[in-house]
Amino acid sequence: MSLAFLVPLFLLGIAGIVVPVVVHLTRRQRKNVVHFPSLMFLEKIPYQEQRRRRIQHWFLLSLRALALALLALAFARPFMDDAELGLGATGGPREVVVLVDQSYSMEIGDHLEQARERAQDVFDGLGPLDRASVVAFSQGATVLARSTSDRARLRGALDTLQLSSGATRFGPALKVAQTILEESNLARGEVYMLSDFQRVGWIGDEGVRFPAGADFIPLPLGEAASVEENYLVTDVSLPRQSVSGRERITPTARVVRRGGSEPETVAVTLLVDGQVLQQQDVLLAPDAAASVQFPPLTLSRPHTRATVQLPEDALSADNAHHFVVSPGAALGVLIVEGASANSNESLFLRRALEISDDGRFRVTVRRASSIRPVDLEGVDAVFLNDVIIDGGSAERLRAFVGEGGGVLVALGEEGGWPASAGDMLPGTIGPVQDRLQGRGGRLGFLQYSHPIFEVFAGPRSGDFTGARFFRARAFQATDSAEVLARFDDGSVAMAEHTTGRGKVIVWANTLDDFWNDLTRQPIYLPFMHRVTEYLGGRAEAVPWFTIGQVVDLANPEALLTAGLVSSEAAGLAEGLDQVALTPSGQTVPLPAGEGPRYLPLEEHGFYTVRPPGTEPERPFVMAVNVDLEESNLARIDAEELGAQLTAPPGSEGRALNVDEAASLQREDQERRQSLWRWLLLAALALFMTETALSNWVSRQKAGAQPGLAG
Amino acid sequence: MASTSTGSSASGAQFLDPAVLGRIGNLQLLAKTVVDGFLTGLHRSPHLGFSIDFAEHRPYMPGDDIRRIDWRLFARTDRHYIKLFEADTNANFAVLLDVSASMNYGSHTLTKLDYARYLAACLSFFSNQQRDRVGLVTFDHEIVEYVPPSMKHFDTVLHLLDKAEAGRAGNLSGPLLQITELLRRTGILVIISDFYEDPDAVMEALGPLRARGHDVIVFHVMDPHELEFPFEEASGFEDLETHEQIPVIPTKLREEYRRVVAHHLDELQRRMTGSRMDYTLLDTSKPLDMALFQYLLARERMMKTR
Repeated sequence: MSLAFLVPLFLLGIAGIVVPVVVHLTRRQRKNVVHFPSLMFLEKIPYQEQRRRRIQHWFLLSLRALALALLALAFARPFMDDAELGLGATGGPREVVVLVDQSYSMEIGDHLEQARERAQDVFDGLGPLDRASVVAFSQGATVLARSTSDRARLRGALDTLQLSSGATRFGPALKVAQTILEESNLARGEVYMLSDFQRVGWIGDEGVRFPAGADFIPLPLGEAASVEENYLVTDVSLPRQSVSGRERITPTARVVRRGGSEPETVAVTLLVDGQVLQQQDVLLAPDAAASVQFPPLTLSRPHTRATVQLPEDALSADNAHHFVVSPGAALGVLIVEGASANSNESLFLRRALEISDDGRFRVTVRRASSIRPVDLEGVDAVFLNDVIIDGGSAERLRAFVGEGGGVLVALGEEGGWPASAGDMLPGTIGPVQDRLQGRGGRLGFLQYSHPIFEVFAGPRSGDFTGARFFRARAFQATDSAEVLARFDDGSVAMAEHTTGRGKVIVWANTLDDFWNDLTRQPIYLPFMHRVTEYLGGRAEAVPWFTIGQVVDLANPEALLTAGLVSSEAAGLAEGLDQVALTPSGQTVPLPAGEGPRYLPLEEHGFYTVRPPGTEPERPFVMAVNVDLEESNLARIDAEELGAQLTAPPGSEGRALNVDEAASLQREDQERRQSLWRWLLLAALALFMTETALSNWVSRQKAGAQPGLAG
Repeated sequence: MASTSTGSSASGAQFLDPAVLGRIGNLQLLAKTVVDGFLTGLHRSPHLGFSIDFAEHRPYMPGDDIRRIDWRLFARTDRHYIKLFEADTNANFAVLLDVSASMNYGSHTLTKLDYARYLAACLSFFSNQQRDRVGLVTFDHEIVEYVPPSMKHFDTVLHLLDKAEAGRAGNLSGPLLQITELLRRTGILVIISDFYEDPDAVMEALGPLRARGHDVIVFHVMDPHELEFPFEEASGFEDLETHEQIPVIPTKLREEYRRVVAHHLDELQRRMTGSRMDYTLLDTSKPLDMALFQYLLARERMMKTR
């Protein structure tokens, strides 16, 4: 190791040391001239300029010279050249990126610990000028340490490495590695990937290409040949039944066994609210599946947590399947028909809504042209079946809709809408139009992307084309209205207008069999169910989420999907601060405010959401399960993966020649040592000391010689 | 020296302060002020040395005072002659003023030339009061102005003194030799100079004047800085006459300078006294009375010897 200079030319500046000496010795005080009558007497005195030719303050002069020398040295950018950092063998410093898989499959054996050790080995092999990054990845990628040569920092980053509940995705991690390599100015790049290399983690070409000169070095963990035996719960179905007014649920779990050689009996346990409710044994052959049906479970309390649990095996995360169930609330439906309507005016509708396994609709019929406030209590959806209501009732419905209720206006011979509340409708009602030619009209267009028709979109999911319509009311939809269905002549059959949190739908036909034969079609019953559920705001509750999903707790619809009933969801969405408790016990604050409140679901188990500082008896709970794709331990060929990432041989490399590499190395050494900063500081300190000392000396001198004359 | 006679400074002494004199623009008024104040304080008669000399005889004319008839001549010639007397001066008085460039130095309000002019004016006024004939010679390395001594030249002398300017290099021997030729009638010669020459050269220049019978009174004008050399800071010292410059660190040279100057002054005084010349060293920061006393003493001595 020897002292070298990056810009040795600046060393010439050391010659500047002689400047103060020369100035000191040659300077004349020309500014002080005393006119004297005659120099006759002065010339008689033998005299020499000895004082000017003798340096009096050697210390001050030394300080000045030293400061100038330090200044010149600082500009020459000195550094300790480590000759051991030979470039010939290595080809220049490397940018090393270590990608460590932290997906939950890494819990098999001690893969994660192995990964940590092998990453440490990689770091131990780094040269003094090499830099390294640590990136942990599962579904996403997190940079734990970026482009550093600090070994302690890299070791610390490895220590923070933990298993996640996510599945393996190579794409994001490789993208991060690509970015790091592209931003690096080092000669070579190396990407080490420490993973169990599951095939499911790579979906093909994801647009990742490492720069030329970068190598991909896979470090597979575990034995590729050995396929682990693994049990997992893939699904739980939760059919509901209404028995004697009480709702019952019958959980049925689907259990899969992967690998193995002999049939095995597996104990499948159902836990409800943390307590074992029942355990059943099931015999599973290798690579086989079985369904386990548990006895019906009466749902009495909301947000009931349940788990189907299998015994521990090598991969434990997929052994449990969590779900949350709540008793379903029956939708209150009010059917309003004219006082003089036929007795079977609403017969088909009423019967259709009464037919359900779980008694999900509670139907009330009112024969009057007015709606009282009491009529709307506990009602979620209102059907105005060929009736025209008064203005006051319309205003009450406006308030009802504003708070989330739904209204369907069915237009028959008598049907109408008070002009005072015309803005609530999606359009204007026209006269009766007959379609008597041929075999009548049909529905020609359906908005299948709408929630009402969504379930009918698939093949053999319901046929509306069989229904015929002989008469209809003309309806002119406004621009803001959404037309959900049209007749084959293009006229509007069904249109929707959203008001507040609720909606108003106009059906330009009757709901009985007087103007059409839809009521006699098989599609009528599910169609009416869908319309009613949509109007009543009922969404299919999701009993569990999957790792990686994000729930917006400020979105009522998302909360409805998560299992909250309408009122609860609205309350939570608009409420004050919330806090989410993760399965591992950490709290995630969700402060109230404008905009979304996203809760990323990153752990499997139950997430509890509640107001901070409270302990509600039945808090809102969401179940989260792992992505079962990760349970497939089949491996991808790491070399094949690498071939897709690295540039083909022969492409123009970024590798630097030896001279450039040496120059870079010297610059890097100098930059890291930064000796010039210290030299500059020392020079500054010397200059300040010299100034203070010389001022002091001058003051002393001036104090000793007062009263100059002349 | 004359220091013993300066103790009787009187109430008019404030008019002798050079700083005060510097504010009086008119030389005649200055001289009158100084001399009157000086004499008033001295309580001496202003007509000291006054006498009446015989001029000529003229025939008596009716109306003449019969007391002025020369009876001895009447006895010899039997004719009436009137004896005329002339109120004559006692002596010729000339100021020889050095106006070389070195005289243009002053460390305070007055330069040496200013001081010398005041002194010359005062002495001229004083002499004029004594009915002496007043003359003036200014010189540097040659005679610059020459006013022969006369009763009528007092105003001219004052005018020239007022106009006198120092600017050229000086030299004593040349001009003084010329003056010796010019002033054939003996009288009182007051030489005012800073005598920046070797004592031998000075005596060589002054010797002929004394040999011709003049009463030589020498006033050596020196600035206090020339005597004390109080400079502190190292500086370049420039000669006013030759403009030569040398670097000097005064603190190192002061003692030696003073010694050399003192030796020079002592030598001048010794040599002049030995040649019966009155030598007086004048410090331009001191009042003029010492110079006046010195002149007065010399004048009195001459009156006695005559």
